[in-house]
Amino acid sequence: MMGRSRVEVAVGVFVILGILALGYLSVKLGRVEFFGGGGYPVIANFPSVGGLKVGSSVEIAGVEVGRVDKIRLVNDEAQVVLVINRGVKLPEDSIASIKTKGLIGEKYIRISPGGSERIVGPNGRIRETEAPVDLEELLAKYIFGKV
Amino acid sequence: MMRRRGALVGVVVVAALLVGRAAFAGPPTDQLRTHIDRVVKTLEDSAVKGDDKALERRRQVRAIANDIFDWAETARRALARHWQKLTDGQREEFVKLFGDLLERAYISKIELYGGEKIQYAGESVDGDLASVRTKLITKQGTEVPIEYRMMRRGDRWLVYDVVIESVSLISNYRTQFNRIIQTSSYQELVRKMKTKQEEFQYEEAKQKRSTS
Repeated sequence: MMGRSRVEVAVGVFVILGILALGYLSVKLGRVEFFGGGGYPVIANFPSVGGLKVGSSVEIAGVEVGRVDKIRLVNDEAQVVLVINRGVKLPEDSIASIKTKGLIGEKYIRISPGGSERIVGPNGRIRETEAPVDLEELLAKYIFGKV
Repeated sequence: MMRRRGALVGVVVVAALLVGRAAFAGPPTDQLRTHIDRVVKTLEDSAVKGDDKALERRRQVRAIANDIFDWAETARRALARHWQKLTDGQREEFVKLFGDLLERAYISKIELYGGEKIQYAGESVDGDLASVRTKLITKQGTEVPIEYRMMRRGDRWLVYDVVIESVSLISNYRTQFNRIIQTSSYQELVRKMKTKQEEFQYEEAKQKRSTS
């Protein structure tokens, strides 16, 4: 009698531990932020964002400084909302480019900071953008295109 | 009743077309088009055709380019934060060197122009900045998207960046300049640009001598 309830308690504890671990994992992997995160939103419009996803990283010189928060369609253009870490200042003439990690890796946004004294503030806009280069399309165009 | 409605629809359609036209080709496109047409005309001009006239042709194209490009703005943006540390004299020198570099890289390519068509695919104006999208259509029918980023100076619109196949000229040079300045120094960058220009001028002079 006694032995059976002890087994049940052990199983219960094990299950609860399992659920907690799962919860931790999903928060970590899903990159959920409970306390509003520590950044400010910045908007950038791209003619296309092919392959960029919500949660993709935003980097300056290879260092992550923010994440993609939203991607939506506005006037046939892709409008991307980035959340940039507080403390990172973006000069107004910074260029946001969508790049690929490695040759076929995931897409991320690389910002090359400009030299302007004016800074892009919260809800401001990065006006200089570069859409991703579609390697396949380029190859097709310049190699197979010639008749 | 039906006829009146038809007339009304007609008026609305015409009005929409007119508005669409106006929004489609504003001052940035018009000014850009004038200059591109002048370049095409120069390249097709028989007075400066042929290899022996290459220098004169390039000089004319550069003069037109100087008229529509804001080299100082392009140079400032390409150097980014390093620009702020330069003195006025250094800035002037750099703009000159950068202009020469672009001439070497691009104006010599323009010479290869052989009747490709240029289409204007629309523009968007946002305050003092505008972007004009064009397409270069080669004889094989390949479309090369070229976008001109322009900036308002008074009532003129000047080009400060060219984005070809979604690769920006400024972004390209910004990365290269930054790498050179960080691994060596600004002086090293200027030295490199100067030697390149001297080599180019030397080659050019040699060519001139061999053709004449």
